[in-house]
Amino acid sequence: MTAPDALLALSNVNTFYGQAQVHFDLSITVARGHIVCLLGGNASGKSTTMKIILGLVKPRSGEVTFDGASLIGLTTPQIVRRGIASVPEARRLFADMSVRENILMGAFVRNDREAIAQDLDRMLTLFPKLGQRLSQRAGSLSGGEQQMVAMARALMSRPRMIVMDEPTMGLSPLYVDRVLELIRTINQEGVSVFMVEQNASLALEIAHEAYVLQTGKIVLSGSAKALKDDPRVRDAYLGGSEAA
Amino acid sequence: MSSWLDYTINGLIVGNVYALVAVGLALIFGVSRLINFAQGSIYLVGAYIGWVAVVQLHTPLPLTIIVVAVAAALVGLIIERFGLRPLQNSVRIAPLLATIGISFVLDQLVMLTFSPNPRALPSQLPDVRFQVGGGTIGPLDLLIAGVGLTSALLLFVFLRYSKLGWAVRAASQDRDAAMQMGVDVNRVNQAVFGIAAALGGVSGLLVGMYYNQIDTAMSLQATLKGVVAEVVGGAGNVPGAVIGSLLLGLVESYGVAVFGTSYRNLFAFLLLVVVLVLRPNGLFASARQAPPEPLTGTFIAPSRPVRIPRWALLAATAVFAVLPFFPVSFYVLQTLINAWLLGMLALSLTLVAGTIGQVSLGHAALLAIGAYTSALLSLTLNVPVGLAIIGGGLMSAALGTALISPSFRLRGHYVSIATLAIGEIVSLVILNWESVTRGPIGISGIPPLSLFGYELISPNSIYGFSFVVMVVLALLQGRLLSSHLGRSFRAIRDDDIAARAYGLSLNRYKSLAFIFGGFAAGVSGGIAAHLYSYINHETFNTQQSILALTVVILGGLGNVVGAIVGAVALVGLPEVFRIAAEYRILIYGIVLLLLVRFRPQGLLGTI
Repeated sequence: MTAPDALLALSNVNTFYGQAQVHFDLSITVARGHIVCLLGGNASGKSTTMKIILGLVKPRSGEVTFDGASLIGLTTPQIVRRGIASVPEARRLFADMSVRENILMGAFVRNDREAIAQDLDRMLTLFPKLGQRLSQRAGSLSGGEQQMVAMARALMSRPRMIVMDEPTMGLSPLYVDRVLELIRTINQEGVSVFMVEQNASLALEIAHEAYVLQTGKIVLSGSAKALKDDPRVRDAYLGGSEAA
Repeated sequence: MSSWLDYTINGLIVGNVYALVAVGLALIFGVSRLINFAQGSIYLVGAYIGWVAVVQLHTPLPLTIIVVAVAAALVGLIIERFGLRPLQNSVRIAPLLATIGISFVLDQLVMLTFSPNPRALPSQLPDVRFQVGGGTIGPLDLLIAGVGLTSALLLFVFLRYSKLGWAVRAASQDRDAAMQMGVDVNRVNQAVFGIAAALGGVSGLLVGMYYNQIDTAMSLQATLKGVVAEVVGGAGNVPGAVIGSLLLGLVESYGVAVFGTSYRNLFAFLLLVVVLVLRPNGLFASARQAPPEPLTGTFIAPSRPVRIPRWALLAATAVFAVLPFFPVSFYVLQTLINAWLLGMLALSLTLVAGTIGQVSLGHAALLAIGAYTSALLSLTLNVPVGLAIIGGGLMSAALGTALISPSFRLRGHYVSIATLAIGEIVSLVILNWESVTRGPIGISGIPPLSLFGYELISPNSIYGFSFVVMVVLALLQGRLLSSHLGRSFRAIRDDDIAARAYGLSLNRYKSLAFIFGGFAAGVSGGIAAHLYSYINHETFNTQQSILALTVVILGGLGNVVGAIVGAVALVGLPEVFRIAAEYRILIYGIVLLLLVRFRPQGLLGTI
């Protein structure tokens, strides 16, 4: 199943919370250099997929590989060291630490001081607004600014892939466009992106491929372009999301 | 000691000592959301290691401090690795109980190694005092202040500038997010426990030198003071813990200045209760809410209770009921009488901690209230003993519920802290309210048990009386639990927000649970008073509260039959195996640890 250019591959993953099964033979591939989007409504198992990749939840069966090597059995910090960074749902910044400290926390797995300092400067060109906020408590920022910090923080580990859980949730329309633009920029610099989204129309604008998850099963997958025109996606998601 | 300046200096010095304990508690709470009840035991271990170093090895002072810090840190690391890390994924109550078990084990090991007699720990500094303004200050005061300031500075540098320090701060703000940055949370826990233990151990050493004496009772006192200081400063808040400690030291010192030494602890616990009631997040909590305590439902291990057929229960009751008619030894009856008394206390606690989810650590106070009421009623007002015991139960129900009611708005660990403090307050009030309770002398010559004018003196009659009372209380409680009231209790335990949304008044139901539980515990205390014929403020102590909790967990939280089975097991088995008294507490600690680790739902399962 795993394509030769796959960076991340989940194959036949089955996950349970106690008695309840969350994933049914879930298989997802993220090609090197691509943006892949996982769509689905509430309780479809999207966020659990994120947690599987990050090692926060262990699947009962199935395989997860990153760059050809299995991630099963690794702890979250070990997985992060392999080159996967995350932008968690609702940002999850370290609220009482300064913005600078938050961004630098992203480089926790690195030890090259000078390069880290350079990367911090690079983040400030990528996210110019954060420059004036560096010594402010992260918890005092607005939601959109916090999202910028969370993305900068994720980039600081120089990841090969970033996984994002609903990066546009709760943001003003202005920031939504900005975030999507940034995801595209990050991707063009060579970082693969796997994102979980409820907002299908936005996600499909920037993604290369997409999967649609429904109560733990992949019901549709393909190129973002094809899915955008697929009447089933239109009915189920695009119409709904515009109404909402 | 005479001037106010002296009291101020004393308060600040003692506050410094508390700070060393409280800062460790705050670090641990920050990272693990856990109140480490074993912190005082590490402090105790530190004091005794210091004694070995000073008295036996004659180490110079700087080396003594280093030896104590390193040895205590090792103890902390062992606790973290073997006591707490295996519990990472268990229910929230598990680590709390584990630290209680660990503290019992450590305290008893120290006591068995060094004997319970106090030992002199000489200060290694010259005993001179300098005149400062209107007061005096000695080299040891300066050393304690110096150690306090140095530790605070080192800790600040560690947290602010080291990578591991950043990891500690990040993990305490958002554990999952820290892991996603590559932080190894186990290493963070290790660091935090090591630091907390080193500080705690040094604190024990300094206190020993300050008072020139160490003994094993220091442990619980240190834990209590540290917890008070930490909660006053805001749980998990490191600078808050320092300020809370200094404040506590001053409050105590001024309290002693005005009212006398026996009031020291009373002021400490009153400060705690006032803070918990008025500002449960501590004096220095920011506007942002403290991290929410987990809902009580996830606090207690869920399980399916073991079904016991009705005939088996009836048969067991019948066997125990007719036991005195067979030639059993006085010793067996005596043991079972103790088991029935503990069983009544366990019934009370299993209702309060298990059914409605308020894990009380001060349940012995209810025994004390019942015992004193019943003793005083029969002694001074000549009330017949049977009625006096009922009076004790009623007083325990009323007074206990009234005292505990300020903590109804608290959750999880905070309930345990508040009940622990209230338990201590009751014992301290008994100690100080001499006109009624006869203070430290205690009450002697309490009339023996009697019913309708017949004295119950033979072991058979005492056995029969206590067994019948316990069975009646158990039946009532069983009836209560199967009614809609029992369902409401469990609803509040499992999700208090949902319960409130369905219109249940939390205060009313918690009060009902404490009224019923208080009555059972008060009756148990009342019977005990007439059996012992002498009681004082230490007859019913925290050790008994913890024993009751162990019984209840052993049987299965909320499980009525389990409470009685647990009481028989914990009172009876040490007798059967003829375990010497000094090893019993150690065994209880180990039982608690094993239960939490391997069967948190208890023998018969939680209900």
